[in-house]
Amino acid sequence: MTDTASATSHPRRPNRWLGKHSRQGNWLAALIIIVATTLLLLVTTDDFATPQNASNLLAQAMPLIIVAIGQMIVIVLAGMDLSVGSVMSLTTAILALDGSPIVLIPLVFLAAMSIGLVNGIAIVQLNVHPIIATLSTQFIVLGVAQLLRPVAGGSVPDIVVSMVTGSVLGIPAPVFWAVVIVAVGWKILHGSRFGLHLLAIGGGAASGQTDTAHNFGLNDGRNIVLAYVLSALFAALAGFFIAGRIASGDPGVGAQFALDSITAVAIGGTQLSGGIGGLHGTILGAVLMALLANGMNLANMSAFLQGAIKGVILLLVVALQSRKKMGL
Amino acid sequence: MPPAVTMTGVTKQFGSTIAVNDVSFEIQPGRVHALMGENGAGKSTLMKILAGVNQPDAGEIALAGRPVTFSDPRDALAAGVSTVFQELSLLPNLTIAENMFLGKEPLGRFGAPDRATMTRRTQEALAELGMRLDPKLLVSELSIAERQFVEIAHGLKADAQVFILDEPTAALNAADVEVLNAQISKLKAAGKAVIYISHRMDEIFSICDDVTVMKDGGHVVTQPLSELTPEKLIALMVGRELGDLFPTRSNEPGPPMMSCKDLRVLSGTKPLNFDLHRGEILGFAGLEGQGQSQIVRSLFGQIPAARGQVQIGAETINLPMSQQSGIRFMQALRVGFVPEDRKEEGLLLGAPISENIGIGLQAARPGFKPILRIREIVMRIMSELNVKAQSPSLSARALSGGNQQKVLLGRYLASGMDILIIEEPTRGVDIGAKAEIYKLLRNLADQGKALIVLSRETVELIGLCDRILVVHGCDFVAEMSGKDATEQEILNAALTT
Amino acid sequence: MTPILRSAAKVPPAYFVFVALLATLWITKPQLMNLNVMGIFVRQVAPLGILVLGQLLVMRVRSIDLSGAGVLLLVNYLIASGLLGGLPLPLVLLMCLGIGGLVGLFNGYLVAKRRVSAVIATLAVTVIITGFVQFLASGKPPGNMPDIMNDIYKVKWGPVPLPVVLWVTLTAVMSVFLSRFVFGKFVLAVGENPTASHFSGVPVERTVLIAHVLAGFFAGVAALVQSASVAVGSLRLGLEMPIDAVAATILGGVVFGRGDGGVWGPFFGVMCFAFLFVVMTSFGVPEPGKQIARGLIILLAAVFYGLSTRNS
Repeated sequence: MTDTASATSHPRRPNRWLGKHSRQGNWLAALIIIVATTLLLLVTTDDFATPQNASNLLAQAMPLIIVAIGQMIVIVLAGMDLSVGSVMSLTTAILALDGSPIVLIPLVFLAAMSIGLVNGIAIVQLNVHPIIATLSTQFIVLGVAQLLRPVAGGSVPDIVVSMVTGSVLGIPAPVFWAVVIVAVGWKILHGSRFGLHLLAIGGGAASGQTDTAHNFGLNDGRNIVLAYVLSALFAALAGFFIAGRIASGDPGVGAQFALDSITAVAIGGTQLSGGIGGLHGTILGAVLMALLANGMNLANMSAFLQGAIKGVILLLVVALQSRKKMGL
Repeated sequence: MPPAVTMTGVTKQFGSTIAVNDVSFEIQPGRVHALMGENGAGKSTLMKILAGVNQPDAGEIALAGRPVTFSDPRDALAAGVSTVFQELSLLPNLTIAENMFLGKEPLGRFGAPDRATMTRRTQEALAELGMRLDPKLLVSELSIAERQFVEIAHGLKADAQVFILDEPTAALNAADVEVLNAQISKLKAAGKAVIYISHRMDEIFSICDDVTVMKDGGHVVTQPLSELTPEKLIALMVGRELGDLFPTRSNEPGPPMMSCKDLRVLSGTKPLNFDLHRGEILGFAGLEGQGQSQIVRSLFGQIPAARGQVQIGAETINLPMSQQSGIRFMQALRVGFVPEDRKEEGLLLGAPISENIGIGLQAARPGFKPILRIREIVMRIMSELNVKAQSPSLSARALSGGNQQKVLLGRYLASGMDILIIEEPTRGVDIGAKAEIYKLLRNLADQGKALIVLSRETVELIGLCDRILVVHGCDFVAEMSGKDATEQEILNAALTT
Repeated sequence: MTPILRSAAKVPPAYFVFVALLATLWITKPQLMNLNVMGIFVRQVAPLGILVLGQLLVMRVRSIDLSGAGVLLLVNYLIASGLLGGLPLPLVLLMCLGIGGLVGLFNGYLVAKRRVSAVIATLAVTVIITGFVQFLASGKPPGNMPDIMNDIYKVKWGPVPLPVVLWVTLTAVMSVFLSRFVFGKFVLAVGENPTASHFSGVPVERTVLIAHVLAGFFAGVAALVQSASVAVGSLRLGLEMPIDAVAATILGGVVFGRGDGGVWGPFFGVMCFAFLFVVMTSFGVPEPGKQIARGLIILLAAVFYGLSTRNS
């Protein structure tokens, strides 16, 4: 055997943040592109470095950051959630119904929770491939959203608008919520047993040791269902944010977010095969996507072409991540 | 003091094969207990039962006199049985400390896993083994030896009383073996029981106090090693009788049909040279996992690191071949490979028997050509091989192991291969079908074909083959003729290198 | 399961659903039950039916193709925009088929060689093409279809419209191709077990690649028929078509790796869609109800197969 190494070799320092063995994945590329893009925009445009644009940028990035954190929770355990975009659309549609916010706001999260449960149970109990399960709920949920609100319109309760666009404790609302949501995401992914178990399950799936996590006594089924519920809840939160910004309901508003969130997660260094990834990478990925959109807007690029470019980025990122399995 | 482990009538059956049959013996605390036996003797299954991976069909296990039942490995660890398996049982994307505490993480402030405590206690457990690894290293960064020490540390931390070491030295260099031996002595001194499985005879005699020998799933003997010599031990392990099953060998083999020159399976292994002659059945013997399978798979492009040359007829092939098309390329040269894992690599279980037999013939044709009419061929093969099935449209899944194996072999018969390379021709096959398969293989050789056969069952190779090469560490360590070979001789060659 | 139930489970759900839908229509709307009206219903789903021929192929080799939406949009745009106005029509049609095949080749390369998730790859391809076409068109509807295409579309053979004839012919060709040609055996083997196929000498990657190329080609044909059916080009073609194709395929008893329903199962899956939307419309179910139906069909069928593969 050639694979021998001395167990008594000199102690090594762990590379926790970077390098081939980092569990955070390769997030440095995203950071470098962000810095480069920022520099480029600073030099080439006058409008980039304005307070107005900065607040626009954050407001634009927020929904994607939120939904990408949820997406990351399921990707880390080697799953995927294509229904997040529809959940966002449904959220805006529910919030734009006639009714008291005391009813509508809990209803939004109740709906998201049930969608997550359906996804999780279909995957865990009924043995459906995650992509197929969430692809079908994507359409079911979209249909419900269109039933509630066939075309964009209506108005959301004032409290939703002020929570998102006003200020909280003297801090601009987007900044306040960004801090809160990132803290919550950090707690789930890196500050809890649940987060560690997600990594364990995903790592087992990625290395073909599907029973290993189970052998450690982890309840993988329950963790997976919970992950899909969380993913749907984060999507609802992102929808809530958008509803506050556009102050109305729109069944088409979430359409692009399923793929955009996957792109953001993947570009942030998280492996789509599971087990590797860090929250900061996902946030960088989402910021990068928002920054590119912002830059392309400033350069007056057609929205349609922007869509095509995002598709190219997604293809590049997934084609560069190797996996063994062929197919879905 | 009660025995650390007491096994009473432990039995485990997989399908129609009895892997462990009514085994009873005791393991004493403070002693190192060797578990010996040939491939397939049931050692691994017995240890998996003790480790909670498998559940026994009958019998009882007691730890320190208390009866126990385990539903999974975690149960076993909680009850004080720690296992270092050859297979991976650590998660590569977690740190050492996380692996140590997975499922039982101590919680710190705000309900987060208390990483400081995890790191400290992992450090302590590693220090007990004299290891200076940083607990924050990912397991994927560790060498195989280091992973094994981490698993031992895992057991120490869980305060295990019984340690199972399944071939722990297979991947270790001399210095690490020293360290491991020192650890085993420490465990022994601390009154723990250590079960040690190894194929290195010298190790067994230098480390172990007692030995249990298993054969064919049954218990042969348990006694102190001081009463035995290596020769006596091997004699206890061998002695299986399968004599009548084998057809008589025929004449002298003809000229070489395939020659391998300077075949290196992995970059560090020795170059191999061997010929395969017309009319010959060549056996690759050896202990499990010594590279027999890698050698033959490298001939089909399935081992990308392989280097060397293969000469078949006028064709000279430089290794490695393309992994994607190696199998097809060799089939075009009429060289077939029958993989060991029937269910995963061999058969299309959900497809009819006729498709399973015919796919080799069809695969030899371009995709846009009409399919061959193979009904007659399939019927002929099925009757030649005596496949017991109502109709060729029955799915392969519905067949018994023996009939499945015949269908798989039938595929290569149908496509008319000149050279057949077969891994485990009779794995999971009942005794009647075994005899039929042996006869079939001998007939093929008599027809002027050439075969390489790999088997865990040394007796099978002795009975079947004209010539046997003993493989150890991807290298040939002995060559003998099938007529003269004895089990003892082969085991000796495989064990003492 | 009793043997009778087990063999009933092998019959694609599409046949039962088809009979149920036909009966529903016959009872509630007897006036629709004449050949001319039926012909028009069936003609509407001919593009879907042709798209399904490719979808069933890729699904049988455990992949999926959602790029049909992009091909449809691109072909639709190329013809309606007059961008290729100077070229003779047959050449334009050939180019459209070629575009479909190229997109399929690209998908196949990503899925078979690069091992990219098929859903992600083909969705991304759709996103890219859609963005690109809308950019070219600046979001405006591109213009009129050549009259000759619409005229051909309206040709009938007795009561049977020409697009339906094309669809049935292609289905029959596909059926013969899969059952009488070696490639059909490759598809069967790869779907059943890619590893065992590899070891028995089946060119696994090539089979998946060719399946994707053919799927792209069928998407090109479907796009031509779809373009001929409308007088004016449109940029509002969504993901519905490929998703319906997935649903019809599963309904027809073909699911990832398994082809119990053959080619005619999915054919009737498409027929179900023809009548499902008629029945839904006649019961006053609004458009979003169809979205929900799509999702539910895929989910229920996937659950059905998920449970049956777990038990075996």
